[in-house]
Amino acid sequence: MSAVAVRMPKLGMTMEEGTVVEWRVAPGGCVEKGRILLVIESEKNEAEIEATTSGFLRHVYVSPGETARCGALLGALTETADEAFDPAALLAAEPRPAPRAAPSSSPLRAAAAPRPGARRPVAPAARALARQLGVAVEDVPGTGPGGRVTKEDVAAFAEDGARRERLVRVAPGVALEVLRAGEGPPVLLWPGFGTDASSFALVTPRLTSRFHVLAVNPRGVGASTAAEPGLSVASLAADAAAVIEAAAEGRPVHVVGASLGAAVALELALAKPALVRSLALLTPIGVASPRLLAVLAAWQRVAAEASAATLAKSLAPLLFSDALLADGERRERMLRGLAGAAARVPAETLGRMAAALAAWSGTRAPDLARVSARTLVLAGADDLLTPGAEALAGDIPGARCVVVPRAGHALASEAPEAVADALVAHFEA
Amino acid sequence: MTRTLSFGQAVNEALRIAMETDPDVILLGEDVAGGGARQGADVDEMGGVLGTTRGLVKAFPDRVLDTPISEMGLLGTAVGAALTGLRPVAELMFIDFLGTCLDPLLNQAAKLRYMFGGKARVPLTVRTVTGAGMQAAAQHSQSLYWITAGIPGLKTVIPATPYDAKGLLLAAIRDDDPVVFCEPKSLLFAPGEVPEGDYEVPIGKARLVREGHDVSLIGMGATVRMCEQAAEELEKEGVSAEVLDLRSLAPLDEAAILATLEKTGSVVVVDEATPRCGIASDVAALCVDRGFDFLNAPVRRVTAPHAPVPFSKPLEDAYMPSAAKIVAAVREVRG
Repeated sequence: MSAVAVRMPKLGMTMEEGTVVEWRVAPGGCVEKGRILLVIESEKNEAEIEATTSGFLRHVYVSPGETARCGALLGALTETADEAFDPAALLAAEPRPAPRAAPSSSPLRAAAAPRPGARRPVAPAARALARQLGVAVEDVPGTGPGGRVTKEDVAAFAEDGARRERLVRVAPGVALEVLRAGEGPPVLLWPGFGTDASSFALVTPRLTSRFHVLAVNPRGVGASTAAEPGLSVASLAADAAAVIEAAAEGRPVHVVGASLGAAVALELALAKPALVRSLALLTPIGVASPRLLAVLAAWQRVAAEASAATLAKSLAPLLFSDALLADGERRERMLRGLAGAAARVPAETLGRMAAALAAWSGTRAPDLARVSARTLVLAGADDLLTPGAEALAGDIPGARCVVVPRAGHALASEAPEAVADALVAHFEA
Repeated sequence: MTRTLSFGQAVNEALRIAMETDPDVILLGEDVAGGGARQGADVDEMGGVLGTTRGLVKAFPDRVLDTPISEMGLLGTAVGAALTGLRPVAELMFIDFLGTCLDPLLNQAAKLRYMFGGKARVPLTVRTVTGAGMQAAAQHSQSLYWITAGIPGLKTVIPATPYDAKGLLLAAIRDDDPVVFCEPKSLLFAPGEVPEGDYEVPIGKARLVREGHDVSLIGMGATVRMCEQAAEELEKEGVSAEVLDLRSLAPLDEAAILATLEKTGSVVVVDEATPRCGIASDVAALCVDRGFDFLNAPVRRVTAPHAPVPFSKPLEDAYMPSAAKIVAAVREVRG
């Protein structure tokens, strides 16, 4: 038997990489199929990974504390303890992704059709890898001598391809990254200020058994087209409507928004009620408090000056409850998840989002009575940023409000079970 | 214990150990007893034209035989001696003289075991000096090991270090089939660590000299050091080169060649010999034939040109492969 590769699993639809927390088996040690081999962390979640086969852990490629992309080689098992095994050879056979060019501001253009009939040199190894990955090698741009397509080019293209497949065209030259998972009635998830679809990472696994989840990276976030000046809550709502029309074929969907995302959801419910089957607003904003506006200004400043990790650390006391902050391990996990998400939101996007929110703040107060969708408001008992959530619920006809105890503003991360349970009950009511 | 010996001294030590451990081992060749023809000279003063067999005739007076200057005669004698059960080590002073004695090797040594259904054996070793770099001119500088490597029934090895010289020569002498043992001229006085005592380096196994992941430099004999120098140069440019020493040209360690190709996706093979029908071409063909799907770049050969070896020093230098030529080839295939 040849060596069996242990790889970084893809546990959630937004998961792109994970960190090895610990190996439960020492190198050289034995593991039975189905027993826990290692623990990984991703998107604020810790997961125990079972051995897919019985054998001996012959080599560890990624040590505890190190991060690897989904699918990356983490370790190798062999059936017997002493059969011939070359760790370097196994690693060498892995495709090494080439350094990628800066993401294009227009992913749709980047995926332009190949020039038909153009004959370009393709390395045999690139052809072989393309065959293995199901990539059309003619579409792969070559970076080798004379434009030769190399193995690394194919690996990078395949990785980009996975991203491209997620892009949904919402306007000419504008595409949003939409992460999809699960089967059932469609649910649209719109994240809050300065974060991305991964902020729902702990909630979505609890929805996908019954719903088709569409988690959106708004303009300027992740692989979505950059946010332009003049971004407004109304334009974001128009994007949301376009996503529903394109990805859910115009069927009405359950719309979930968090914080600034709740403003987008609310705006959508007012502008295009026919697209909204139900509305769920997590820690929504009616009128942005001076404190919230000050926090957003500080957020931008820190993001511009410091690392994503520092930003996450600075924001933590404002976003999470004291209960969570007191739990060292959970706090660290949340910080890493938040830093990961923050790294996918450029400073430019933060400025445009903050301007959009400031302009929108309070403008819809008179219209709340017009919201026709069945509405659920979820608030955190310890939320420091949007304390007006309960009052907002009172202004929407028939809205139900659930206050989650011992939870702060980052509700979907702090209390994923309570949020998921409330959402499912709301969707299925 | 290890100590520093030259390549030639390592060969001498292997011969001595082989003769001490097996009374059937004999040496024969032109001047292997060395200097005996000169009046008044110590019988062992010379030890062959390059001094490699110095001291052996004193230790084994009946088993070190100077032959007339007839390669056909000495090789024919050696094949016959091997058939009778001896383990002769014949010295073909320069591989360039192969033309005068090819038949005993090509049609006798290489064929007898096969044609007698395994009932005859030819445990013969032919030591021979190969290669250029010492201004020995066109008739004494060739790297004709591709001829013997291309003859089924002959094994051909070419060590690159004193360590491998000793271990491979002991393995060659103790092998029951005829082995051509090449001693690259430019390495004969090169020093290296050599353990005392008896050890063998297996025939048919390449040596991974240096690990890398961007390109594989495959050398043999004198070109291994050039590959190492090129790898050091490339490292400064951020290119990680793996270096493989073939050591054995026949049998060829195909698995090692394909493994390094699979790892790096790119091969530059470096041979001191002329390019046509040679080892470099053979390795390149193997890579394309059996490693096609691993190729991430064209296979490049760095060899001597298809021309006789020049006598003039500057021309000989220009003729030889070099670290600079290897670096240039790597830059070319990587773009």
